[in-house]
Amino acid sequence: MSTCAVRVRGLWKRFGQQIAVAGIDLELPAGKFIGLVGPNGAGKTTTLSMVTGLLRPDQGSVEVVGHDVWQDPVAVKARIGVLPEGLRLFERLSGRELLTYSGRLRGLPAPEVDRRATQLLDVLDLAGAQHKLVVDYSTGMRKKIGLAAALLHNPEVLFLDEPFEGVDPVSAQTIRGVLERYTASGATVVFSSHVMELVESLCDWVAVMAAGRIRAHGTLSEVRGEAPTLQQAFLELVGAQGRDAGSDLDWLGGGAR
Amino acid sequence: MSAAAGAAPDARAASLTAVVVRLKLSLLGNGLRRSGGRRAAFVTSAVVALLFAVLQLLGLIALRGHAHIASAVVPGAAVLAVGWAVMPLFFPGGDETLDPTRLVMLPLRPRPLVRALLAASLVGVGPLFTVLLLAGCAVAVAHGAAAAAVSAVAVVLALLVCVALARAVAAANIRLLTSRKGRDLAVLSGLVVAVGTQLVNFGMQRLGTAGLGTLDPVAGVLRWVPPASAIGAVDSASRGAWGVAAAQLALSTAAVAALLATWSRTLTRLMTAPDASTLQDDGGAVRERAGRSGAARLLPAGRTGTVMERSLRYIWRDPKTKAAWTTSLAIGLIVPVFNALQGTGSPYFACFATGMLGIQMYNQFGQDTSAFWMVALTISSPRDAYVELRGRALALLLITLPYAVLVTVLTTGLLGRWPELPEVLGLSFALLGAMLAAGAWTSARFPYSIPQEGYKNVAPGQIGLAWISLFGGLIAAALLCSPVIALAVWANVSASGPRWTWLLLPAGAVHGAVLTLAGLRLSAPRTAARLPEILTAVSRS
Repeated sequence: MSTCAVRVRGLWKRFGQQIAVAGIDLELPAGKFIGLVGPNGAGKTTTLSMVTGLLRPDQGSVEVVGHDVWQDPVAVKARIGVLPEGLRLFERLSGRELLTYSGRLRGLPAPEVDRRATQLLDVLDLAGAQHKLVVDYSTGMRKKIGLAAALLHNPEVLFLDEPFEGVDPVSAQTIRGVLERYTASGATVVFSSHVMELVESLCDWVAVMAAGRIRAHGTLSEVRGEAPTLQQAFLELVGAQGRDAGSDLDWLGGGAR
Repeated sequence: MSAAAGAAPDARAASLTAVVVRLKLSLLGNGLRRSGGRRAAFVTSAVVALLFAVLQLLGLIALRGHAHIASAVVPGAAVLAVGWAVMPLFFPGGDETLDPTRLVMLPLRPRPLVRALLAASLVGVGPLFTVLLLAGCAVAVAHGAAAAAVSAVAVVLALLVCVALARAVAAANIRLLTSRKGRDLAVLSGLVVAVGTQLVNFGMQRLGTAGLGTLDPVAGVLRWVPPASAIGAVDSASRGAWGVAAAQLALSTAAVAALLATWSRTLTRLMTAPDASTLQDDGGAVRERAGRSGAARLLPAGRTGTVMERSLRYIWRDPKTKAAWTTSLAIGLIVPVFNALQGTGSPYFACFATGMLGIQMYNQFGQDTSAFWMVALTISSPRDAYVELRGRALALLLITLPYAVLVTVLTTGLLGRWPELPEVLGLSFALLGAMLAAGAWTSARFPYSIPQEGYKNVAPGQIGLAWISLFGGLIAAALLCSPVIALAVWANVSASGPRWTWLLLPAGAVHGAVLTLAGLRLSAPRTAARLPEILTAVSRS
């Protein structure tokens, strides 16, 4: 396997007047737990959509495990799993039906799909709700069934857009456990988040994004540098330092009212 | 509250009634103030409804003395009551004052609350409309001063039955109405209106030709069913049957009392039981399935069967898809068959069924909403796209083909024009093939998103696209099956034609099949090449 899971060159995307992604060059190492961090509106979702072939870039190329996403979709689509943010699932299927549907669309034999679906539902704590329609699932359950669908065909690279957003702590811990086991076997996880503490505790490699560009990338310690936390390093990188709210709002809080 | 606490219970109840009625009036006013369009829509619909009611009133007064008038107005009152009963199921958000869960935090006793809510229910255009209609019904059958007096009581009683019925139904179903299933149900209301209009239309035509006398047996039963029994009492009083009239009025009064008691009991239970939103809902579970269930096992293996299974499940489970399908199935049957029943139709009307169902092939990916990404991620070649489109077309054919044959046979049989069956079937198949081809192609080329909330079927900003997709697609389908249409026309006008009309069946079937295959083949590479564009187009909300 190549040591580079994803290679992005000169990636651009513009929506009308707004430039969402302004020329990204990035090489993500294989077999790592990779975090794509940045504030809301930094272009994380747009980037992940283009990398996974769900959005056509204006310019640039993307390779996943050595295959071009737009030239060689057969090789790429079989090797990636995706959990997008803000897109629906086929919600009028039950959890199990959704997994069966997804697995069979990918050409897996029916008994194998059944076996894998049963195990995934068990591990992700969804066995009790497997016959409920996904439309009646909570946010955490939706993320978990989406993750199960993304993992079902055992992809080499898993792309997760905000997998922990709106997820309760118990579900988050379950998701985390599954992902850690998955990367330990040599697979690659790329996930986006704006919660620095989470990225710091999970990832061994991070790319920091702001305003459509990559501001820093490398191992966690490289990106963190001298700063005590990733949060501090990030604030320095995006230039949000010194905007201390201390001088304004001096009336707020205890004392004279 | 403390000032009122010392007052007599009656005064408090009266003030509660006044408060709730005022609340209803301000909610009505606020709703109108929100936007000009809304105000215009409300005023227009109110004026139209009242105009209709007044015309009905005048019409019924003019019909006074008609031999069978009682047979018309008694069922009329019953239909009105049915309308009131189903109204809350289809317009659950209709009346906030009447949603008891909003009043749950207030220290209110059931009896004054029911009185207040009942009074509030009587305010509005709906009750006014109903009073006018009921007054018309009563006047049409009232003869003499005594009957007029009975009329006054009867109209009030009938109105109270209607309103109390609506409230009791709404309160009993509040759990359902505020849940996801209730919202699903509301989406189907358009369908009830569409199909209901067709049925009423044909019913009226039938009555117009056969006369009101046909309703006599129905009226004979309904005159003992509240609230129609109140109108029945007016009729009985006019004919001097005082005992019958009294019994009918008593029946209506008992109905009001029973409905109010039911409503009150449900309210008490609702106010004291935990809120539905905090309860774990386990009603959404679909039936236990071990592997592939019976019918699903008959579908082909691989992607084809998977796609078919999902499409068929969505027809049943997705409210928007279900509403579209049911409307198509119902109208596709009603128009040719009812016309045939009246002897006015033609076997060619049976093509209506094919046309209505063929439309379901249009904008296939829009029907997926943004969940299309799951499909997009598994299509990596034109071959995948072809199998995907073919699976969807097969799912549609599974229902449409037998249905089109059934409707055609039924229509031809009712008209007794069996010799025309082969050509109509042939034309139906050709039309279906053309629509599948055009539908597949426009699905790939002009997809647009279908908002999942509310009644809209096109997202803002995509109306032009939807027009191109639907009407362009329909014109294309008409052009594609024009050879078969031309053949049918020739067979019917030329002298030697009738001998050859049977040829239209195989010709139409082959033409349709070839068109479908060609359409799918042409659409597949377009779909595979445009996946991100299609996803963007169908994800708009």
